[in-house]
Amino acid sequence: MSRWKELIRYSGTRLALAPLMLWIISSLVFLLLRVAPGDPVDAILGNRADLEARELLRIKLGLNLPIWNQYLKFLNDLIHGNLGYSLNNEEPVKDIILQALPASLELGCCALLIAIFIGFLIGFSSILKPEGKSDLAARLYGITTYALPPFWAAMLLQIFFAVILGWLPIGGRFPPSMISPEGSGFFLLDSIMNKDWAAFQGSIRHLLLPSCTLGLLLSGVFSRALRVNLERTLDTDFIEAARSRGLKESQVLIRHALPNALLPVLTITGLTIASLIGGALLIEVTFSWPGIALRLQEAINQRDYPIVQGIIVIIASLVVIISLIIDIIISTIDPRVRY
Amino acid sequence: MKSKTKRKKRIIAVVIGFLTIFSQASCKPSRSSNRIIVASAGKVKSLDPAQANTLKTLQLISALGDTLYRLKPNGDLEPRLAKSLPEISNNGLTITIPLRENVLFHDGTKFDSKAMEFSIKRFMKIGTLNYVINGRISKIETPSPFVLRLILNRPSSSIKGLLTSINLTPLSPSAYKNYQDKFLNKRFIGTGPYQLNNFQTDKQRLIPFKYYWGKKTENPGIDYIHFTNSTTLFGSIRTKEVDVLLSTSMEDIQILALNKLAKKGKLVEGEGPAMEIGYITFRSNTSPLNNKKVRESLSYSLNRSLISKNVSFGLREPLLAIIPPSLKKNDNPRWPKYNPQKAKKLLLKEGYCNNKKLTIDLTFRSNVPADKLLAITWQQQINRDISDCISLNLKGVESTTVYKQLGEGAYEAVMLDWTGAYPDPEAYLAPLLSCKKIINDICEEGEAVLSGSFWASSKLQNALIQSEKLFDDNRLEKLNEVELYAANGGAYLPVWLVKPRAWAQTNFAKPEFDGSGLMLLDRLKRLNQ
Repeated sequence: MSRWKELIRYSGTRLALAPLMLWIISSLVFLLLRVAPGDPVDAILGNRADLEARELLRIKLGLNLPIWNQYLKFLNDLIHGNLGYSLNNEEPVKDIILQALPASLELGCCALLIAIFIGFLIGFSSILKPEGKSDLAARLYGITTYALPPFWAAMLLQIFFAVILGWLPIGGRFPPSMISPEGSGFFLLDSIMNKDWAAFQGSIRHLLLPSCTLGLLLSGVFSRALRVNLERTLDTDFIEAARSRGLKESQVLIRHALPNALLPVLTITGLTIASLIGGALLIEVTFSWPGIALRLQEAINQRDYPIVQGIIVIIASLVVIISLIIDIIISTIDPRVRY
Repeated sequence: MKSKTKRKKRIIAVVIGFLTIFSQASCKPSRSSNRIIVASAGKVKSLDPAQANTLKTLQLISALGDTLYRLKPNGDLEPRLAKSLPEISNNGLTITIPLRENVLFHDGTKFDSKAMEFSIKRFMKIGTLNYVINGRISKIETPSPFVLRLILNRPSSSIKGLLTSINLTPLSPSAYKNYQDKFLNKRFIGTGPYQLNNFQTDKQRLIPFKYYWGKKTENPGIDYIHFTNSTTLFGSIRTKEVDVLLSTSMEDIQILALNKLAKKGKLVEGEGPAMEIGYITFRSNTSPLNNKKVRESLSYSLNRSLISKNVSFGLREPLLAIIPPSLKKNDNPRWPKYNPQKAKKLLLKEGYCNNKKLTIDLTFRSNVPADKLLAITWQQQINRDISDCISLNLKGVESTTVYKQLGEGAYEAVMLDWTGAYPDPEAYLAPLLSCKKIINDICEEGEAVLSGSFWASSKLQNALIQSEKLFDDNRLEKLNEVELYAANGGAYLPVWLVKPRAWAQTNFAKPEFDGSGLMLLDRLKRLNQ
């Protein structure tokens, strides 16, 4: 079978298995939420509402139905693309996700670009003179950024750049005195589309600190991964062969070693993107960034089942899609990869 | 040597590049208007008064709408959309409220008794907190366009306090025609000094309502923004990103820092009447806390002054009552003061001490930092004072779980807080103490069960019912009597009182609050305007 056919078959199988995976994840979330202590009725009414009021709300929210019926209704809605309504304010979950997801994606993408840029710069410069001072400094940087608690690092940067220097805003996604641009929810893109340069500047200013914090914290992983893989690749026979042909060290490094060392880094990038979507919670909380992770945390606290279920289904779907795309990219770049 | 210099140059270039980006980004865009930026914690997910139950939402609706009455800082009722104070019939079952004329809703329609009837009925039908009316109103009549009549099921003097509730803010019947039985979250059509210009969950823009019936706003509008954590809120006022900051959900250490800055003249601080109480509930239907003397000994063992100092740096006032002082005339302490010797004496009488310790599980809400600090401080204070008699086991549980399991009797002693649904002593006493079915001083059904104390007293219930038939000072006296019974019962242990605070930049007038602890957004004023 040709490589492309193999790849198409593999992608088809992964896509066909995706609904099964989503069903398992959503069922687990459904069950775990109901097993966990706490009640959405308490979260909405407080624990002092009388029994009649509680029962009426329970009926209104459909929580009086047997759990099996609730589950079937949830699955039926999910199959039809209906993620339900918030138990708190009856807003469609789809709308809530559409508001929060662009914020997280914007933050995540910027953070990833910063992480890749800094990580590669440090990783690459450290391999130029292995075991030298810059290599040791780069290792220390990698370990430190990996080990730093995100909320602590975020607070330090907040205090330094926002409170002491006053260069950047302390939190939020957009200047308080301005109305955010209409459109896709990606403020940078929307302000460019609307040619609203004040909004663009405002968005950049608010994005810079959280994305740099997240980017710096992630860059350690990239620098370490690149360094280790470059070191391994530089020890291989084909690099020796390239050197013996009289190629310059920079040519050997950039043309031959780097593309090979990048493959594992690409896998790490894929995993990082997946975890970034839902995993930037501490950054979102610290910077009051109205993203999907923050929304998920609020929904869990309020036991707003449909929002939690909806967000997890969307995050899981994104993870499936992103990991598939990464697999396809790796397979395209590296002819040795077979599925 | 050359390569070293090159590398250094590269590093310097990268650092300069970053600093350039940061410094370019630091060019703050100038503000496009004179609107005041007010910040508080959390988000506003719905602007519907029928489901408003968080302080930040109530704060916002109070600026967008008017209630029939408002509580003044001195505790008196101030007619707002009502023309004068309510007239109550001799049997206490009919309340007549004359309404203000020439009031317009934000959509241009007229406010009248039909609009008020529509809004109250809507709240009774779909309001998430509609149980606060608790079957008190049987019928709403509109004998004329500007007279509203409420027919009650039973005499209820606390209805006056209820009429100040933000949940009963009148809404335009034409704007809410399609929302009689469902919520309208992102719009608000009321009669208030401001109208809603833009709504996002983390930001709302209010602009002055041109045809407002009352005093015009002191500012050209408000941008009301929300941050998720205390540090960001604190930083936002320090960096002058916001003009005014509300203390809701802020950590005590940051409140203290802002308080100190205000004392140094670097900020202007306003404070409102305390409406939030912090207290400990004792489960009084099982051993050992079913013993009144044991509960009393715990009351004596609590050093509120120390706790206030250690937990909140003295910002949370020690509390020896359930009713906040601003809602009653008599401010005498009801609960026993700190006296470890007396606590020990009582416990000795009950057979504790001398190698038999009273061990109590004290639960605190793990997501509320002040609760945790209180629990730790009390534990250590008891270890210092009477370690041979009492031992506290601390347990942290997330608040949603605590509320769910409270009525199931899951917690022997638990730290909680409470803010009345409306500014009235009854809104503090009834939710903790009222009981429908009492057997041997144990509540089998009622609010005392939901509060987790399970404690009840027939005398207290009778006094509570009688208070509903009394008015003014007689009523307050009766409610004081109820509070005294509660203090004697010892099933609740009041700990502290939390005052709402607001800080403004120095070019602003001092933020003002109404009698229910809400900041008056329309009175915020730039001094150099």
